[in-house]
Amino acid sequence: MKISPLRTSAARLALGYGAIFTLGVGALLGTVYFLTTSVIENEADAVISAELEGLTDEYHRSGLPGLADELSYRTDSWGQAGVVYLLVDANLVKEGGNLKTWPWDYIPTGQWTQFDLQARRGDDTEVTHPVRTSVSLLPDGHRLLVGVDVMQQRRFARTFRNATLWGIGLTALAGAIAGYFLSRKLTRRVQSVADTCDAIVGGDLSRRLPLAGSRDEFDALALAVNNMVDRLAENTQLLRATFDSAAHDLRGPLYRLRGRLEDAGRMPTTELPVRAGIDAALTELDRVQRTLATLLQIAHAESGMAAANRATVDLAELITDIGELYEPAAREKHMTLKVAAAGNCQVSGNRQLLAQVVANLVENSLKYIPSGGHIDIRAQRVEETVWLGVADDGPGIAQGDRAAALKPFVRLPQGQSKDGSGLGLSLVAAIARLHHAQLLLEDNEPGLRVRLGLAAGA
Amino acid sequence: MNVLLIEDDLEAAKFLQKGLKESGYAVALAVDGRDGLKQAQEQNFDLLITDRMLPHLDGLSLVRALREQGVRTPVLVLSALGTVDDRVLGLKAGGDDYLTKPFAFSELLARVEALLRRSAAEKNVPQTRIRVADLEMDLLGRTVVRSGKEIQLTAREFKLLEFLMRHADQVVTRTMLLEGVWDLQFDPQTNLIDVHMSRLRQAVDKGFARPLIHTVRGAGYVIRDEDKSA
Repeated sequence: MKISPLRTSAARLALGYGAIFTLGVGALLGTVYFLTTSVIENEADAVISAELEGLTDEYHRSGLPGLADELSYRTDSWGQAGVVYLLVDANLVKEGGNLKTWPWDYIPTGQWTQFDLQARRGDDTEVTHPVRTSVSLLPDGHRLLVGVDVMQQRRFARTFRNATLWGIGLTALAGAIAGYFLSRKLTRRVQSVADTCDAIVGGDLSRRLPLAGSRDEFDALALAVNNMVDRLAENTQLLRATFDSAAHDLRGPLYRLRGRLEDAGRMPTTELPVRAGIDAALTELDRVQRTLATLLQIAHAESGMAAANRATVDLAELITDIGELYEPAAREKHMTLKVAAAGNCQVSGNRQLLAQVVANLVENSLKYIPSGGHIDIRAQRVEETVWLGVADDGPGIAQGDRAAALKPFVRLPQGQSKDGSGLGLSLVAAIARLHHAQLLLEDNEPGLRVRLGLAAGA
Repeated sequence: MNVLLIEDDLEAAKFLQKGLKESGYAVALAVDGRDGLKQAQEQNFDLLITDRMLPHLDGLSLVRALREQGVRTPVLVLSALGTVDDRVLGLKAGGDDYLTKPFAFSELLARVEALLRRSAAEKNVPQTRIRVADLEMDLLGRTVVRSGKEIQLTAREFKLLEFLMRHADQVVTRTMLLEGVWDLQFDPQTNLIDVHMSRLRQAVDKGFARPLIHTVRGAGYVIRDEDKSA
């Protein structure tokens, strides 16, 4: 299986950690931002409060004229520092300070408020300065306004906020990039593990996972898998040895049995009815022998050992040969057998085993479809796959029975009257696995279509 | 004809020896690989039949050893290992034919005869024409003529007839035909070869007084001029 670096658990982990880290950085920078801006604002408020307090004291000490004097003095000396003052009477008419008019058409209720001041700069452009301000009501109905230009603070806060957002964004980006590369690196190692395991499953039991020598968790995993494959190879070897000796042990007696029967049959003194009995026994022996041979072939193909003997096989040629071999037999049963090939149908495989596949499928069709039926043998190249298929218009196999049909010794209800060994399709399945081919049993509407998808090319 | 049979299954070996003797061969017996190799080196046999699994020295190593010493005697390998790969390995080791146990004796006999005939034929120059009675095959022109009349055959029928004619007067079994004509090594469950043979007979023998292709019961087919051999 091909692993995408974007869908790995490493990627998910990196994404999760990236998100948490980004949240943390966001909280930290956000706190700093709010604290800083509030400190700056408090500072402005402190200036305003101190000014108001000083001026109110002056009012109490020397009355309204004293306050006006103090205002004009402070306006001259502080005005440039961005502090604005305004003293108005009960009708909001200016009596002193450096602000031209009452900035609102109402009287603000809260202690702290704000207004925008349009200030003209030297080059005649108007700039809006936000002014934070507090208004104090004097006992005689006059109102005293003190404000501070907070444009610099606002500008600073804005810059700070942008920097904070950029910081969070860059953290998230860096996390994503680091996560991607981490995931890609892990994916490469896991991919090599997966590829090797695929090769082992495909029958190459000599393959082992590479060890990086770093004694990390991957090495531990690889070591465990390698040990497992060692055991598997051992067991497979044992199984094969058992099969071989079982085959030998069974064939020995069968071999002698056949020898005895044939010898008895050849004796001139053997009478005709006995001879017929011997012939019948030999026919039965043939069947036992064939079943044993097929079982061994399945075991051999399943063990993956047969992969050694591979060559380029042209399936178009192969099905033409097999089609021609079976065509007269089909015609004798009043069936139509057709062969069709399309495209370059070369694959890498074992010709004898692939021939066996086609032959088994055709023989099944010959056995199960009624007289007058049709059998189609096909080889077709579709992109990088060569499909090898045999289809008929016989009774087919019910959807639910198809998987079972591939297992050894399973005979389906409609097949019970026939004398098959029940191994034909199992052998097909084993040979398909040996060739890493996809095996499909499909509805030919009506009938059965069996297809093998083999990787194209030599 | 002298045949050396190397087989550790004594009982089976006795049946084979008896059958081969009845068919006119002189059969020496060896019961293990070492003994077999010794006998094969010391005496001049026309054919070796060896089991693949033998005590002391297995059949394939024996064949390899003989071939390295330049002994070209044809070898028929018998084996209980019947997969396609086993067969390929057997032939690669220097065996000339491979038969999976258990086999019908007639199959063994047919292959023995074919091997002996082949080793005799290899000494001659390659043929371009084969003749059996009044049937003549031109291998270069790909034509078949019987009694001056051309016989139309498909490519496969031509190959089938060629195989029979190259083995004229010998019994060829169905598996030999499947191997030789179709290059297929499996055991078909239906009477495929018989159907092909009956079509070939239609073409070759129909309308002629003397049939040339004969069925040998329990064994296979033979192409033969009955008058000549009678």
